[in-house]
Amino acid sequence: MKNLVYLLVLSIVFTACEDVIDVDLDQGESQLVVDAFVTSDSSIQYIRLTKSADYFLNAPTPAVIDAQVRIVGPANQVYTFVSNNNGDFTYNPVTNGPIDSIGFPYRLEITYNNIPYQATSTLNPVPPIDSITSSFEEAELGAEEGYYAQFWARDFAGREDFYWVKAYRNNLPLYPNDPSIIILSQDAAFGGNAADGFVFILPLRAAITDEEEPYIVGDTTSVEIFSINKDVFEFLEQASIQANNGGLFSTPPANIRSNIKDGAGNAQEEVLGVFSMSAVSRASKIIEP
Amino acid sequence: MLINFSFLAISQEKYTISGYVKSASSGEELIGATVAVRSISVGTSANVYGFYSLTLPEGTYEVSYSFIGYQEIIKTVELTSNQQISVELKEQVNELEVVEIDADRAENNIKSVEMSVNKIDAKTIKKIPALLGEADVVKSILLLPGVSTVGEGSSGFNVRGGGIDQNLVLLDEAPVYNSSHLFGFFSVFNPDAVKNVKLIKGGIAPQYGGRLSSILDIRMKEGNKKELTGSGGVGVIFSRLALEGPIKKDKASFIIAGRRSYADVLAKPFLNSDLKDSRFYFYDLTAKVNYELNAKNRLFLSGYFGRDVFGSGFLFNWGNATATARWNHIFNDKLFMNLTAYYSDYDYAFGLEGEENPGDDFEWSSSVVSYSIKPDFSYYINNNNTLKFGGQSIYYNFKPAVAEFSSDGQSNDLSLEEKFAMENGIYIQNEQKIGSRISLLYGARWSFFNYFGVTVQEFGDTTAGIRKPLISATPNTRTVNSLNVFGARLFSHTQYATTAAYNNFEPRFSIKYDLNEFSSLKGSYNRMSQYIHLISNTVASTPVDLWLPTSNNIEPQIADQVAVGYFRNFAKNKYEASAEVFAKDFQNQIDYIDNADLFFNEELEGDLLSGIGRAYGLELFVKKNKGRLTGWVSYTLAKSERQVNGINRGEWYPTRFDRAHNLSVVGTYKYNDKWSFSSNFVFSTGTPATFPTNRYQIQGIVLPHNINESRNNYRIPSYHRLDLSATLTPRNNEGKKIKGEWVFSVYNIYSRRNPFSIFFEPNEDNPLVTQAIRYSVIGSFVPAVSYNFTF
Repeated sequence: MKNLVYLLVLSIVFTACEDVIDVDLDQGESQLVVDAFVTSDSSIQYIRLTKSADYFLNAPTPAVIDAQVRIVGPANQVYTFVSNNNGDFTYNPVTNGPIDSIGFPYRLEITYNNIPYQATSTLNPVPPIDSITSSFEEAELGAEEGYYAQFWARDFAGREDFYWVKAYRNNLPLYPNDPSIIILSQDAAFGGNAADGFVFILPLRAAITDEEEPYIVGDTTSVEIFSINKDVFEFLEQASIQANNGGLFSTPPANIRSNIKDGAGNAQEEVLGVFSMSAVSRASKIIEP
Repeated sequence: MLINFSFLAISQEKYTISGYVKSASSGEELIGATVAVRSISVGTSANVYGFYSLTLPEGTYEVSYSFIGYQEIIKTVELTSNQQISVELKEQVNELEVVEIDADRAENNIKSVEMSVNKIDAKTIKKIPALLGEADVVKSILLLPGVSTVGEGSSGFNVRGGGIDQNLVLLDEAPVYNSSHLFGFFSVFNPDAVKNVKLIKGGIAPQYGGRLSSILDIRMKEGNKKELTGSGGVGVIFSRLALEGPIKKDKASFIIAGRRSYADVLAKPFLNSDLKDSRFYFYDLTAKVNYELNAKNRLFLSGYFGRDVFGSGFLFNWGNATATARWNHIFNDKLFMNLTAYYSDYDYAFGLEGEENPGDDFEWSSSVVSYSIKPDFSYYINNNNTLKFGGQSIYYNFKPAVAEFSSDGQSNDLSLEEKFAMENGIYIQNEQKIGSRISLLYGARWSFFNYFGVTVQEFGDTTAGIRKPLISATPNTRTVNSLNVFGARLFSHTQYATTAAYNNFEPRFSIKYDLNEFSSLKGSYNRMSQYIHLISNTVASTPVDLWLPTSNNIEPQIADQVAVGYFRNFAKNKYEASAEVFAKDFQNQIDYIDNADLFFNEELEGDLLSGIGRAYGLELFVKKNKGRLTGWVSYTLAKSERQVNGINRGEWYPTRFDRAHNLSVVGTYKYNDKWSFSSNFVFSTGTPATFPTNRYQIQGIVLPHNINESRNNYRIPSYHRLDLSATLTPRNNEGKKIKGEWVFSVYNIYSRRNPFSIFFEPNEDNPLVTQAIRYSVIGSFVPAVSYNFTF
């Protein structure tokens, strides 16, 4: 849907213009922010705790170093994340055991300033990426000439799945300067439950190419699919809209719903952010003529 | 003296003169023409079909027929029986000193019981400097008091604190669901085919219903009954052509008018091969025929069809289609009927094109279709009482989404359920004169609505920001009606049971009191209800927004409005002025949960919130009708707010289109026969916007947060703009078959970057740096030249 609206905006023939201006904003109270995207990989896992800040801070937000962070798994097994004293809390699955029980609802527990918070996220399975294909395309409206890649994967049939697709060019994020471009998929399509068990649909399949700068021969294109939960899908969908919500067809700015609960498991307003457990599948390809 | 006279009148036999008032040059009916007997101060005006009826005691009278811009005719009538008299008025020679801008009787401003009404005719619309030189009905309306918009390029208009879906936009009595081309830059009404435009903002008479805030009644020309004529133009955006003429002289005529944007045609030779397949155009076609069967029966058929088409590797198009059939019947000298039947459709379609990926496709369409029948009767009881009554029945079919997609050869249906509804209304009203100073209009409308859902969904309560949970979804009971002949099914129709039924009693009342010959006081109250709603939470409405009916989860919108005003004319009606204040109260206003999902959402009603609203305002208006310099000044001081549980922590907040001050100055100066100049200046307070208080970072993305959960907590800078145009009518036009004129215009002459919105985004080079962006839809002056011709 957002793509469509974007195309609509493109079509406006007039001299629409954007200027950076100075605006005075009220400053709100600072809040704890949880950035917990944990995977079942064997690499070091990070949970980052920070504080929210003045909207025009224009620097990394302040780190939180003094909190207790752990994940509780099957049979109440505890995976403790240790503070690196820079806002990152880390866990090493190689030495301490992997967090990889597919289908299990993991619980994140954080204690900060003696107040407990928790969140739950189920580790969902992720389908393998069968292949990446690429072809040379001539320029079209809004798309440059070059190599366009597509990834091929099939959603699991019979269940409601949510995925976050990340693309890289030569091991760097595809849109390093616009982190708000987030490729999300519900089953194999954008939203609704109509593409259950499908091959990822076309605009998604081809979303791993930056149309303004397609691949050239010798580039490496890489794709990761993260299985995520519905609340994380919604969080990222909202984040993508709210990070850059302008123009004729913008929606009312709204706060993004966090899935972090209070100690008793109820919704709360004190803490922002999200907890997500993911399994990841990966593939990459060197573009050939 | 007058009282004496009316006593006298009772004892005498009374007879009725009735008929039509038309233009001698084109045969067009003159809406609102005055028919009066000056000697006894009795008069009436012709209705929207040019029909009048005047009842007088037996006697001999000098009956005057007049209309602004036309020469008066005085007929001596010896009234000894009921008489039918239709007259044709000749246009005044267009002398410099008698340029008049409004095809309406200036005294109506004070004498009529109508208030909160603005009329504007095609001639005036064409004089107002316009974006890219394209005269535009809806953009002209924005210059009137009480009317505002969320910003340049947005679709529709807002009247007295009402949303854009609260205006009933009627084209020859058929509602138009989306009045815009190119999102909102142009409206769909071709000014060459428009006769006049009436905007009713308050004191809305019982004959109208179905929307809360205004009626925009657009009447198309009938077509010249005397000779074949044409008009057209070549502009920057559109080329236009209209033809009108008699089918049977003085009995039947037609008009057909078309426009097409042609930026794509002009651009084609200059485009790279990769852009050759892109399409981008919009067009509309308006046509009408009318046939005078005999003195008592007339038929009108009119239609509109317009589309915007846009594509490149995909095809996206949207547009309206309307068809209206009307039958005017005069039962007798006092009873006039108009029977209207219409069809109106708005739909859009999106599809992928191309053969590159045969297994991958996406087709999506949506529509709202309505059919209606609407009888209206006018009964001219006597010169002091005009009774109107009638009803309307509308059948709706909503298709929120018909969609299918396929991926790698496997396909699935994404369609959402259709919805059906029936809206009915009956009304009665009487316009009564009491003595020489007081006029009343009183009556009521009673509206009924039945919603027929295919599935009945029930939702639970929600907390702020969370969508309502679906508690149950049960298939509705249905019966299949079929017509079988010898065992073969000829016809079948599935009828669903009523899922929700509502009715509203809508009282309406207006009063006028003449203070003296040149000033009057007016007051009005109206209650309106609205059963269909535009579901849109973007700042400007998009072409893909859905219309949805009232249901068991969406209650009908209701508004009550009180308005009072002082009306005064100066210098023998050369100037007319009005000051009005209004207060309006809204119920069941639709809003949306934060981050609502409005497309392909089977549980959409779970994302809707309901709230209340209020609006107040003061509207000042001065208009100069005659002389070399004509035009008006309009100023509105207003406030419009909503209160919705779940938004802004339940506190009142200003609507997105709330503007405290709104000033328009419109002027046309006729320098000589060759040159005339027009200008408008507009100023309005900036619209509200929601700004964040904090930032936080997730996965490297800087996100905004508003710790107070406020809505519309800031205001963007004010809007102001000056436009100029000059019209050159070559002197050598005289005697030529084709008469032309050049219009040179500049929109936004001092290149102000008026903000449409202010939003926040990460800097492109360093995403850690966030910045406030002023977004202007039009960032510089826009010059244009167009050539218009008539033949």
